Amino acid sequence: MNEKLDLRGKLCPEPVIATKKVLDKKEVESIEALVDDEICVANLERLARSQKVHISVKKESGFYAVSLSRNLQTQADANIAGLPEAGQGAPDNSKTGTVLFITRETLGEGDAEFGKTLLGVFLQSMYESGHKPRAILLSNSGVKLLSSSSSSKKVLEDFKAGGSEVLACGLCVEFYGLKAEIATEQITNMFAICEYLNAADKLIQP
Amino acid sequence: MSPAEKHKLTANIKAQGCAAKLSPLELAQIVKSLPKVKSENLLCGTDNFEDAAVYKFSDELAIVSTIDFFPPLIDDPYLYGRIAAVNALSDVYAMGGKPLLALNVFCFPSCDYPLTLAEEIIRGGASAVDEAGCLLVGGHSIQAPEPIYGLSVIGTVSPQRILTNAGAKEADKIVLCKPLGMGVGLLSHKGGMLSENTYKELISNLCRLNGPCLEIALKYDLHAATDITGFGLIGHLHEMAKASGLKVRLNSKELPLLPEVLQCAEQGLVPAAAYANRKAYSEISRIDESVDLALSDLLFDPQTSGGLLFSVSAREAFQLAEELKQAEWPAKIIGDFLAGESGLIEVF
Repeated sequence: MNEKLDLRGKLCPEPVIATKKVLDKKEVESIEALVDDEICVANLERLARSQKVHISVKKESGFYAVSLSRNLQTQADANIAGLPEAGQGAPDNSKTGTVLFITRETLGEGDAEFGKTLLGVFLQSMYESGHKPRAILLSNSGVKLLSSSSSSKKVLEDFKAGGSEVLACGLCVEFYGLKAEIATEQITNMFAICEYLNAADKLIQP
Repeated sequence: MSPAEKHKLTANIKAQGCAAKLSPLELAQIVKSLPKVKSENLLCGTDNFEDAAVYKFSDELAIVSTIDFFPPLIDDPYLYGRIAAVNALSDVYAMGGKPLLALNVFCFPSCDYPLTLAEEIIRGGASAVDEAGCLLVGGHSIQAPEPIYGLSVIGTVSPQRILTNAGAKEADKIVLCKPLGMGVGLLSHKGGMLSENTYKELISNLCRLNGPCLEIALKYDLHAATDITGFGLIGHLHEMAKASGLKVRLNSKELPLLPEVLQCAEQGLVPAAAYANRKAYSEISRIDESVDLALSDLLFDPQTSGGLLFSVSAREAFQLAEELKQAEWPAKIIGDFLAGESGLIEVF
């Protein structure tokens, strides 16, 4: 279950108390909290640390969007030295499931534009099938699916809202210059990607 | 429902007690523009961030002058008044003085709150002034958008016995006399996260006059004193270390703490002023990696009505701490003054 909290305009300590109350509910897997300032963010970081949940922060204009999620372990174990995006952690190996590994922006080979459209159709069909993958991992030109101009961005957001993790390879995001367009929380590293693939019950690579 | 329950004093207050102070960086910026005053009788002025000004009248007599006030930190008006007055009187004690006269400083929005609340605030303040053996002789009150209360206090001290920030000596021990965590505790209480017992302990510390603590300590070989308030332990220790040309080694395992505050800080109940203090003192503090984040937050936590801190010769420190403990002050030896980079605070 994902919760959204708009805590803008609330005086300290209300933002951290309200977030903690929601986080204390076991059925809540992730929270997106909007807060006013860096102080609230710093306090939510302390909360995340103490509750051992993953946190990522995105600065918006005039406020901060803070995502807390239980699915990912804290980043400490999974960092790879030298990778700027090595922040996202490895998955919890006790959780298996289907993993989609998308390594290019097209489905199969052939006409490039047709390939892109086809990949969109594939993702949409997969979403509507009701089979919920545990994670969708994007690498190489596959990370472009998360760019703002991509027609597949919407369906990937739908997967995410449905509880699937949608993660992009950090090196690839950097290489294609998409850092500004992709939320930090969705950026992972190759180490974590390997962990997901190894833990998967079923791997689908379109 | 009592008037205090109906009209919550802290409902719209952003920062509680000494957490409402301008940050150290902001204060340094505005004090910079003050003209330097010099007088051979002015023993303590704006230099060295002392707790109060001291002016010498004769070889036997100097006056200590100070003012302190802040917005409500709890909803109980009597306790708020009491705590604000205790906190203001403390600056006189921190200079080694005895309070003589006090004036109320009072802002009150009488359109928003009933006057009975104002009476309670003043009454709470008067109780502390009276207990200090000081005379409350008047004051000034105005309408304002949020309540503010405190005192201007004049005290006396012998010019030979002034306790400034500047007197700490190499190898002195540092004795702290009240537990840390007032800022985190107040914020946690506001968030409903503090147990009844801890809240009681917090209030009893906030309401406790530092006078009797000073009285015991004056029997010992004290070299410097201050009280820990808005700039937190590290901020006030830094001022002392800087004024004395020494560095400090602080033992984080020996800090007296209020119960529960460590867990509250861990969960993110850290007041904004603690972050401002951390920022302001980041250059002059070196905190060992082994020190837990929540514990380091408490080093920067803004204290309201905090404890006296003494720099005392090593051979007497243990005895001082023991005698204070017998008088139920949770005094602890928390570190040493050492030769080294002036003003540096090392925490291990």
